[in-house]
Amino acid sequence: MKRRYKLWATFAVLAGFHAAILFAGFLAPYSFSAQDRDAPYAPPSRIHFFDSHGTFHARPFVYGMKDDPENYGTYRVDFQQIYPLRFFVTGAPYKIAGLLASRTHCFGTAPGHVFLMGTDGYGRDQFSRLLYGGQISLAAGWIAAAFSILFGAIIGGLAGFYGGWLDDILMRGGELFLALPWLYFLFAVRAALPLQVAQWQVFLLLVVVIGLIGWARPARLIRGIVMSAKERNFVTAARAFGASDAYLLRRHVLPQAYGVMLTQMTLLVPQYILAEVTLTFLGLGVGEPMPSWGSLLASLQQYYVLASYWWMFLPTVLLIPVFLTYYAAADALQERVKSVAL
Amino acid sequence: MGESILRKPGAVCLFAVIVCAFCTMSGRAAQRKEDLMVTKNAPGRFGGSITVAVRSDPKTLNPVLAVDEATREIIDCMNADLIHINRETQQTEPALAKSWSVSRDGRTYTLRLRSGVRFSDGQPFTADDVVFSFELYLDEKIHSSQRDLLIIGGKPISVEKIDDYTVRFQLAQPYAAAERIFDGLAILPRHLLENAYKNGTFAQSWSVSTPAGEFAGLGPFRLKEYVPGQHIALERNPYYWKADLQGCRLPYIDELVFLFVPSEDAQVIRFQAGDTDLLSRFSAQNFAVLQRGQAAKGYKLEDLGPGLEYNFLFFNLDNLADKNLPEIARKQVWFRDVRFRQAVSAAIDREGIVRLVYNGRATPLWSQVTPGNRMWVDASLAHPPQSLDRARELLKNAGFSWNSAGNLMDSHNQSVEFSILTSSSNAERTKMATLIQADLAQLGMNVHVVSLDFGAMVDRLLNSFDYEAAMMGLASGDADPTAEMNVWLSSGGTHLWDLTESKPATPWETQMDQLMNQQLVTMNYVQRKHLYDQVQEIVAQDLPVICLASPHILIGAKDRIGNFHPAILAPYALWNVDELYVQ
Amino acid sequence: MRYLARRSAHAVLLLLAISVFSFALLQWAPGSFFDSMRLDPRISSQTVSGMRAEYGIDRPFVVRYARWLSSMLKGEMGFSFAYGTSVGPLLCVRARNTLLLTSSATLLAWLLAIPIGIWGAASKGTWGDRACGMTMSALLTIPDLLLALILLLLAVRTGWFPVGGMVSAGVGGVDFWSRVADVARHLILPALGLALATLPILVRHIRSAMIDALESPFIGAARGHGIPRARLLFRYALPAASNPLISLFGFSIATMLSASVIIEVVLSWPGLGPLMVQAILARDVYVVIGVVMLSSVFLVAGNLVSDVLLFMSDPRIRVE
Repeated sequence: MKRRYKLWATFAVLAGFHAAILFAGFLAPYSFSAQDRDAPYAPPSRIHFFDSHGTFHARPFVYGMKDDPENYGTYRVDFQQIYPLRFFVTGAPYKIAGLLASRTHCFGTAPGHVFLMGTDGYGRDQFSRLLYGGQISLAAGWIAAAFSILFGAIIGGLAGFYGGWLDDILMRGGELFLALPWLYFLFAVRAALPLQVAQWQVFLLLVVVIGLIGWARPARLIRGIVMSAKERNFVTAARAFGASDAYLLRRHVLPQAYGVMLTQMTLLVPQYILAEVTLTFLGLGVGEPMPSWGSLLASLQQYYVLASYWWMFLPTVLLIPVFLTYYAAADALQERVKSVAL
Repeated sequence: MGESILRKPGAVCLFAVIVCAFCTMSGRAAQRKEDLMVTKNAPGRFGGSITVAVRSDPKTLNPVLAVDEATREIIDCMNADLIHINRETQQTEPALAKSWSVSRDGRTYTLRLRSGVRFSDGQPFTADDVVFSFELYLDEKIHSSQRDLLIIGGKPISVEKIDDYTVRFQLAQPYAAAERIFDGLAILPRHLLENAYKNGTFAQSWSVSTPAGEFAGLGPFRLKEYVPGQHIALERNPYYWKADLQGCRLPYIDELVFLFVPSEDAQVIRFQAGDTDLLSRFSAQNFAVLQRGQAAKGYKLEDLGPGLEYNFLFFNLDNLADKNLPEIARKQVWFRDVRFRQAVSAAIDREGIVRLVYNGRATPLWSQVTPGNRMWVDASLAHPPQSLDRARELLKNAGFSWNSAGNLMDSHNQSVEFSILTSSSNAERTKMATLIQADLAQLGMNVHVVSLDFGAMVDRLLNSFDYEAAMMGLASGDADPTAEMNVWLSSGGTHLWDLTESKPATPWETQMDQLMNQQLVTMNYVQRKHLYDQVQEIVAQDLPVICLASPHILIGAKDRIGNFHPAILAPYALWNVDELYVQ
Repeated sequence: MRYLARRSAHAVLLLLAISVFSFALLQWAPGSFFDSMRLDPRISSQTVSGMRAEYGIDRPFVVRYARWLSSMLKGEMGFSFAYGTSVGPLLCVRARNTLLLTSSATLLAWLLAIPIGIWGAASKGTWGDRACGMTMSALLTIPDLLLALILLLLAVRTGWFPVGGMVSAGVGGVDFWSRVADVARHLILPALGLALATLPILVRHIRSAMIDALESPFIGAARGHGIPRARLLFRYALPAASNPLISLFGFSIATMLSASVIIEVVLSWPGLGPLMVQAILARDVYVVIGVVMLSSVFLVAGNLVSDVLLFMSDPRIRVE
């Protein structure tokens, strides 16, 4: 009973995350590309209920900010300007899931700005970009990871189950895949593509390229397990009863590798989201101004960001619970699969 | 006890005087035959070492074969040229040639060499070494990257030895910047390299794996040791031909160490940690980070103002007749219309670029010459601010219109959509492109930023011409306009926006060709300046490239470095490395 | 023994195949080493095309491959356009440094991962396990480059570690042991960075393999016999969980090698990484192939070792 509860709980949290990302247009106060050139690297806006005189405001508000004359590029809070936070405000137009057009945003201020996680070097709202960025990254990460695991399971399963020359060829093929300078392959892929690559093409590319390059590792792991699993007593027994190879693989051998597969999957998703950073460098990622979690992380990899703009790390900090929930879900699933299989 | 006496400042002075007196004595003894060059710097203290970071290992230690910046920076400390460009004054000054004269027709240069000068291995330097060096630079089979500088009027310059200390150079045509071409051309020891040259193994000689004993140069330092991937250490050349006002032979420091630190961030951190003494080529954002610790950490930072680098946006104006690129060819109708380019230029928020990309440490540009190039900048050039109204009017005049959704449409009712190509390894240019994207969106243009790795980008710019617009930055090594010939001549190899052009395609390009060719042979500075001003006006008016901004040269140095006078020309802080000392 | 011989023969064939495919891939990449030279206003295009001809990069694929193979046999490993020398000596010193870094990082990573993973499995579901999982996923979300920068920032702020390089300035003269100590001090930060970069993957696999092992009936039986917990974990469960871990070991080497590129660049460790990055960007193709071949050798050797270990440790596999 407790197990089932845990599984559903993690799934509910994940559903919440995904809904927030799907409804990014509504939850985000600004468009992902809106630049406020007077506010590059602005720190997060604090939400207040009490003003500087100690008076209580029923409606929360943010203070305005002004340039700090002593330190170029930094800001001071302007206590004179109070912008009350409003809900269901009208702002930049957006579409939910590419279908539902609207202009209503969950919250916002007018005039003034509310930057929950500060802004980047263009003065773009980080919170909005985080929500929008998940749309591409999560989907691409998951589909690519599933792709890799599927491929890896087929190849690793065959190699481990049949052994002999098939094993040699498939596994050496995997090593070949791991060793090749893929960066150059990607250079070539980019050169073969037209100058401007459409958004959906980028998405497909991400999935196919990352998924295809990544199968070799899971394949090797799964093969190791299959190799020992096929010699276990109950498998030998089933074989003696005349079970076909396909049946054995599907029902008895591969299920023993589910644990490793799930572990791999949950590890691959964040890795693949990060892999997009490399692809963006090659012009294969989503280009500016479209955000992705990969590009958000890439913008952090500079010393001055680390040393000067701590709020740029807020999105990363927020990614950790997301991934943790995935791991929890994977663990719960693993237990469930095991209890069903045994 | 003795040590504590030496620690007193007075004692140090005394010690320095004794050392200097000793130098003077040995200097005087040698003076009978040695023509030392006396520098005007404040006298420094001898000894100590300076550590600098460079991005990569030197690729070679052979000055004739060196191409990249890191390699040149190291090699330049071990070699010397005949006539040198002073990085501070941006003017030429005597180096190994103590004087020179020009014939009346401007085609014959006679150089008097310093006598009694020795290479770092103690062997004498004579006119034979000069003739030999130029033979190397001019040899077609060696493919020296400096060879093209020595081709004037289509012919290589000729070198002739008059006597042991006189050489004569003949040019095929008068050449305004003739003295400046000698800068950076290292004079090599014939006695060490002649055999390799005759055997045909010159291309392999003086590589990074050659033992230190086989090198000799005329620069302030000579090779001590090279550890691949880690550092290269140079030691004081005891035969160097410069002395300070007190007659002490330069350089002051005993050792110059180049650490190989491959990333800018790591270089900044190592400077902050005190591992290196000097820092150059870093971003304005890192400048701000370093500024915070400035007082406590014992270093100082300087913003020298704009250097020579100009960043620009340009459109593909190549002739695409024999390429299968119909989509780009269609858009070229817009790109070729000067009003379209002017509208784009008018819509760009250059101030925004300076603030957001460079933290304010850059200067907006409207033409290719930066204010840092004091001798050649056209001060009367107009600097129109961003104006979307003017841009809209220009577009309207050029036959563009706006549809109900606010998108810009051309006269065939096609929406205006194009991409800007940038290099993903240059964060600053990518950022500029993204700002321009937002600027042009206000005009209803749908602009995409395509960032590729530098190699792939260059391939598109130079070979396939498969691009629509691109961001680029160029920085000449020299302030003189002659260094830019290949950029502005329509037949030039760096004439990026139209490489297919063999003769000028438009009237303004014809004019630009004429002006550039004319300034090349004009000897009078005022007349040349007038010619080059006109080139700058054409660039600002007809916009073959839309100039955006010039980043400032930012330099950091430890407080203990004396005679620190950084310049905006490379090698920024190291140009007077022979005069630097450790306090 | 026969198994080993057969696998070694395969390894050689594999390396040949890798070299052919790498050559083909490099062929497809746009741009060449000499293109960026054409952007220098001081160099004319004639000079550049002269250089291209000199280095034979316009020759057909087969000719270039044959030339490369023959120079490989001579130990030159091709020719670097940028350095103007053969690749072999360029790689030699740097490969040694990379090997030093990756092997100490591998050691460190496994020394950390095994106890953490076992502890996580043994105390599954507790708050300690969860906190550990959180740290590991935080590590996994941090890109390697950022991790290296964070370590650097730490070093700058605290002054405990050197902030890059492999030796301090001026240790040339001192005795052997203090030189070793100096290198070891410089090794701490990059090795830690590299170990942390691979740690989450190792920990997660070890933990999940241990959980599987702990749930198997024989452990229950052993527990029933009253065998002490520590002995149960290390003596009984760990060997049972070792199968996927040995496979993991084989390519944890590959992961290390690819992660080491970035760590080396940021922490200026004089290994193959900085050379590789420059060569890739400059299209100095033979250097790239040289590094690829070297790391393939490491990778193939790692997999070979892990297969042999698997063969020896798991009697079920030995049956065939």
